[in-house]
Amino acid sequence: MFECEARIVAHAHHAGDQHILRLEAPSIAEHALPGQFVHVRVSDCHLLRRPVSIMLADAEKGTVDLLYKVVGEGTRVLAACQVGQQLSVLGPIGRPFDLGDAGSRYVLIGGGVGIPPMIFAAVRLVGFADCVLFAGSEVAFPFALRPSTMLLPGVQGNAILSIASLEDRGIPCRLASNAGLYGCFEGHVPELARQYLMALDEAERSRCVLLACGPHPMLHAVARLGRELDLPAFLSLEEFMACGVGGCAGCVVKTLEEGREHYRRVCVDGPVFPANMLPEFA
Amino acid sequence: MTVTDIDLSVEFAGLRLQTPIVLLSGCVGFGDEYTRVDGYSHEHVGAVILKGTTLEPRLGNPPHRIYETPAGMLNAIGLQNPGARHVVEHILPRLPHDKTHFWANANGTSPEEYAEVARIFDDSPVTAIEINISCPNVKAGGIHFGNDPEMAARVVEAMRPMTSKPLITKLSPNNADIAETARLVIEAGSDGLSVINTLVGMAVDVDKRIPVIANVSGGLSGPAIKPVALWKLHQCRAIAARHGIPILGQGGICSPRDAIEFAITGADAIGLGTGLFLDPLLCPKVLDGLRTYLERHGLGSYAELVGSLAS
Ligand SMILES: Cc1cc2nc3c(=O)[nH]c(=O)nc-3n(C[C@H](O)[C@H](O)[C@H](O)COP(=O)(O)O)c2cc1C
Ligand code: FES
Repeated sequence: MFECEARIVAHAHHAGDQHILRLEAPSIAEHALPGQFVHVRVSDCHLLRRPVSIMLADAEKGTVDLLYKVVGEGTRVLAACQVGQQLSVLGPIGRPFDLGDAGSRYVLIGGGVGIPPMIFAAVRLVGFADCVLFAGSEVAFPFALRPSTMLLPGVQGNAILSIASLEDRGIPCRLASNAGLYGCFEGHVPELARQYLMALDEAERSRCVLLACGPHPMLHAVARLGRELDLPAFLSLEEFMACGVGGCAGCVVKTLEEGREHYRRVCVDGPVFPANMLPEFA
Repeated sequence: MTVTDIDLSVEFAGLRLQTPIVLLSGCVGFGDEYTRVDGYSHEHVGAVILKGTTLEPRLGNPPHRIYETPAGMLNAIGLQNPGARHVVEHILPRLPHDKTHFWANANGTSPEEYAEVARIFDDSPVTAIEINISCPNVKAGGIHFGNDPEMAARVVEAMRPMTSKPLITKLSPNNADIAETARLVIEAGSDGLSVINTLVGMAVDVDKRIPVIANVSGGLSGPAIKPVALWKLHQCRAIAARHGIPILGQGGICSPRDAIEFAITGADAIGLGTGLFLDPLLCPKVLDGLRTYLERHGLGSYAELVGSLAS
C-alpha cells in the first residue's frame, strides 16, 4: 500500500449529502481491487484517517473515485475540500472480493455508500464473468440513471431504471428504494435480489455468488438469503479504524473458525468476509 | 558539521539503537504490519515493541474498541494476543532481527504470571522486555499494579531473576506519585522506564445513550496527552538520571518538534504510537527534523540533546 499526497481533480456534490471525489493517486489506482478502500486524512485537525471504499480506479489516468456521505465531522470537512487541494491518502487497503471464478454469476448487492465497491466489482467483471448489480438507496442516487434495455428475470415492472455508466458497459442493474423514488423497486434491495434469484432456473441459480456492502440490516438480509438459497455470500464490513494497516487491532469483528472465536481486523483481514464466518450474521 | 555527520544512534539499557525512535506496543501489531506500507523501513527505527502479551492467549474486548476524540483517541483492545509461547514459536522467527531490535511487552494478572512471561521471552530473540503494569483495559492486573507502587515493584522483582535481558517498566500517568513508582521499580531491578502509557477516559454515544467503547473506558493517546506525558517525564527524569536509567518518552509525539521537546525533557529514546496512525511514514520525517535541529544548534548527536532542559 502507498501513502501519497493526492490532488482532488473533481468533487461532485449530490442530494442527501452524498459526494463523489476523484483523486489523482497513480500508485493506488494501479493496484486497487474491488472491495478495497483508501484511508484519507481529511484535515490536520482530525487525528484519525477516514476509511472510504474505492468506487472506480483508472490505472491509465491514475485516478480513483470515492463516494461518501457526510456522517460526522470528518466527512463534513472532506465535503468542503476543493478541486486542486491535496489530501494524504493511504491505500489500497484490505482483502478484495474474490472475483476469480469465470463460471460464477456474481450477484452484487449494494446499499447507500455500500454501492461503490459493487460498481467497481461489476466493472472489473465485464468480459470475464456474468454479473448483475442491485443497488438500494433512501435518497436520490448520486449517479446518472436511465431506463434499462436489458431484461432481468423476476424484476417487477416498476423497476426500470439502471445506472447509466453500467448500462453503457452492458452490466445489468436495477435499483430499489423505500422512499418512492421513480423507476425503482419499492422495498429493500435484498428483496429485489431475491425476486431475481427465485426467477432463475435451478442450474442458473446454483452458480450465483452473493457479494454485498451496505448497512447492517441489509447485510443481515443478504446473509439470510444466502442461507435460504444455499448460495455463498460475502459481506464487506465497516468498523471504526485507526491505523488501517493491521497494527492496532482496533477495527475488529468476531469470527467463528473451526468452532473457535477470533477477533479479525476489518482493515487487513477484511473488509470482505464470508457471511458464514461471522456469528453476528448467523 | 553537516547533517549527515550527526549521530542519531543511542545507547539504551545497554543496547545500541540505530535511531532514537521506538515504535510503541499495541500500535504496530507483532512487528511487521507497517512493512505493508511502501517506503516504511525497520532501518529508521531503533526498536519495535510487540503487542502486549500474556501467558495464555486472549481474545480481547468486543468492538467498538477505538474512537476518535479531540486531538486524540480512546482504545480498549483488551490485550488481544495469541499467548507468549505462540509469539516465541511462531511470530518471532519470521521477524528480521538483523534490521532492528524487537522488544516484548509483558502483561499478567499476578507477579507469577509476569515472571513466567519473562521466562518464556528470555529464551527468544527479543533484546528487551517492556513490563506493562499500566494497561487500563483489562479487568485484572494491568493498571492495578501500575497504580500501586509496591505492587509495581513486586512485578519487577518477580521478573528480574527470570531473565538477563533488559527490563523496561512502563509507568502509568494515572498514578498519584509517578516519581515514587519510578524509584521503586528501579530499585527492584528495572533497567529502563517507559513514560507514559495512556490516560483513562470515555466517550458517550448520544443517540444510543451508551458508552462508545464496549469496555466503557479506554486509554487516551495522541496529541491530547502530550503535555501530561512531558510533565510525567520531567517528574521521572531526576530519579532515573541519578540511577543512570534511560527513559523511553512517549505520549502524543506526531512531529519532529514533539520529539525534540521530549528529548530536551529527558527522553533517551522517543516512542511513536498514535502518530503513526496519522502518518505511517512519520519515522523518516522525525529523523530528518532531528538532524536539521541538531545541526542548527551545533550539536553532534541526539544524546547531547537529551535532558538539556534549562532549569
Ligand atoms: C491501539 C493502542 C493499543 C495499545 N496497546 C498497548 C499494549 O498492548 N501494551 C502497552 O504497553 N501499551 C499499549 N498502548 C499504549 C502505547 O504503547 C503508548 O504508550 C500510548 O499510546 C501513548 O503514546 P502515543 O500517544 O504516541 O500513542 C496502546 C495504544 C494504542 C493507541
Ligand atoms: S485499523 Fe488498526 S488494525 Fe485495523
